[in-house]
Amino acid sequence: MEERPFAEKVPRSADLNEQPLVILELIQRLKVRDVMTTELLVAARHTTLREVQDIMKQIKISGVPVAENGRLYGLISIDDIIRALEGGYIDEPCQKHMSTKLVVLEDDMPLSFAISYFDRYRYGRFPVLDRNQRLVGIICQRDINRTLLVELTHELRRMEELTGGSSAPQDDYAGLYFFREFPVSKFDFENAGKAATTIKQLLQERSFPARLIRRVAVAAYELEMNMCVHSLGGVLTCQVSNGEVEIVARDTGPGIADVEWACRDGSSTANDWIRSLGFGAGLGLPNVKRVADHFEIRSQEGEGTRVRAVLVLASENKPKEESQGSGGG
Amino acid sequence: MTFAEVVAAIGGKMVVLTETADRKVRHVVGSDLMSDVLLVDEDDMMLLTSLASDQVLRTAQIVGATGVVIVNDKPVPDSMADVARELGLSLATSNLSKYEGCVAVYKALNGITT
Ligand SMILES: Nc1ncnc2c1ncn2[C@@H]1O[C@H](COP(=O)(O)OP(=O)(O)OP(=O)(O)O)[C@@H](O)[C@H]1O
Ligand SMILES: [Mg+2]
Repeated sequence: MEERPFAEKVPRSADLNEQPLVILELIQRLKVRDVMTTELLVAARHTTLREVQDIMKQIKISGVPVAENGRLYGLISIDDIIRALEGGYIDEPCQKHMSTKLVVLEDDMPLSFAISYFDRYRYGRFPVLDRNQRLVGIICQRDINRTLLVELTHELRRMEELTGGSSAPQDDYAGLYFFREFPVSKFDFENAGKAATTIKQLLQERSFPARLIRRVAVAAYELEMNMCVHSLGGVLTCQVSNGEVEIVARDTGPGIADVEWACRDGSSTANDWIRSLGFGAGLGLPNVKRVADHFEIRSQEGEGTRVRAVLVLASENKPKEESQGSGGG
Repeated sequence: MTFAEVVAAIGGKMVVLTETADRKVRHVVGSDLMSDVLLVDEDDMMLLTSLASDQVLRTAQIVGATGVVIVNDKPVPDSMADVARELGLSLATSNLSKYEGCVAVYKALNGITT
C-alpha cells in the first residue's frame, strides 16, 4: 500500500471499515435474477410501434423486448419510437425496426457482471435469458440501485444491532459478511478439497479463532469430498453473517436412500476404488455433525442432497480452559 | 521435537521442506482414511500414511498438520510435491511400514533408543 505524505489517521469504527467490503460481497453474492424485473411487458413481432409507445407510457420504461413464447427477437427502445415518429412509420410492426443485435445477460450471472456490462456498453437495459435461452426478465441500472439500497439497509441495520451495545474485541468479526461459492465436480480429485482449503484461508485472513477455522474446514472438506465421491456434482457455499459461518453443500443427485443410516458412524457405500483413494470410512457425515453447532441434511433417492452445517462464532469466544469439565453437549 | 527432527530420527527423507517442519510434533496419526484423520481433534499432529495423493496433503492442511510422511517407500509424484509446496506443508518419505513408522516416531518422541 502506498502512503500519502500528509494523510492523517482518522479513527474509524469497524462497521464503516467494512462497508466497501459489504458492497463487493453483495454484488458477488447477488445474481442477475435477484435484481431483474420479472414482470415483463413484451411486444410481439407484429405489434405496432405505436402500441409499444403506449406500453412505454403506461409503465414508464424506456425499452420493450420483442418476444414470443419466451423467445427473444429484439428490443424496441425509446429512440426507436422517436425515430418512428419523425420518420412517420409509427404504425408499422416492430419487427421491421427493432434492434436485433442484442447484448443479453444470463440470470445466474453475478450482479458484478451486470454492472460491468453497464460500464462497457452504453445501453440502459439488458434482456435477461435463462439457461435455456428463454427471456425471463430485464434489468436496468435502476433495478440494481434499488436492490443494493435495500440490501445495504438490511446489512447496516444488522451491523448496528451487532455492534450496538458492546465494543468488546471479540465483536470485530461479528459484523462481517462474506459469501463464496465453489463448484464441485464428480471424481475431480485434482481439485477436490480446494474449496475447503480456500475457505480456511479466507477465515484465517480475517483472523477468526483458530479452533473455529478448523471446525469449519473439517465440515467443508467432508461435504466437498462427499460431493466429489458420491454425487453427480454440486456446489459448496460458505457464508459468514450474523456471527455465524454457514457451509452448505448442494448437489444434483443421485441422493441418499436412507439418510439416517448414512449419518451413522461407519456407514458407507464407497467401493474399493474410492477406499484406495482414502475415502469411505463412513465417518464424513458424523464428522460434520460433530464439528457443527447446527446440522441439517435433506436428501431423497433420485434427487439431490443438501447438507447444511452452521458454526456459531460465539461458541468459540468462550475462554478455552472450559474444555476440562464441560457439562454436556 | 520438530517435524524435521522426527523425520531425521526415523531415517526418513525430506521431499518438501517448508516452515511447518520447524513446528513441534505433539501427536501422531497413522491412517489411510482421510475422515479418520479429520476425526482426530489434536493440534500439531504429523501424519503417516501409505497413500501418496493430493488429498492426503489437503486433509493434512485442513487439520493444520506439521507434516506428512509417506511410508512404504512409496514414490511421491511430482504433482504431489507441487501441491505440498503450494500448501506450504512439509512432506517426507520413509521406507518403514505405517505401523513401524508409528512405533519409530513414538520412540523418537519419547527418547527411547533401542
Ligand atoms: N452428497 C452425497 N450424495 C450421495 N450420497 C451421499 C452423499 N454424501 C454422503 N452420501 C452417502 O452417505 C454415506 C456416508 O457418508 P459419509 O461421508 O459419512 O461416509 P463416506 O463418504 O462413505 O466415507 P468418509 O467420509 O469417511 O470418507 C456415503 O457412503 C454415501 O453412500
Ligand atoms: Mg464422506
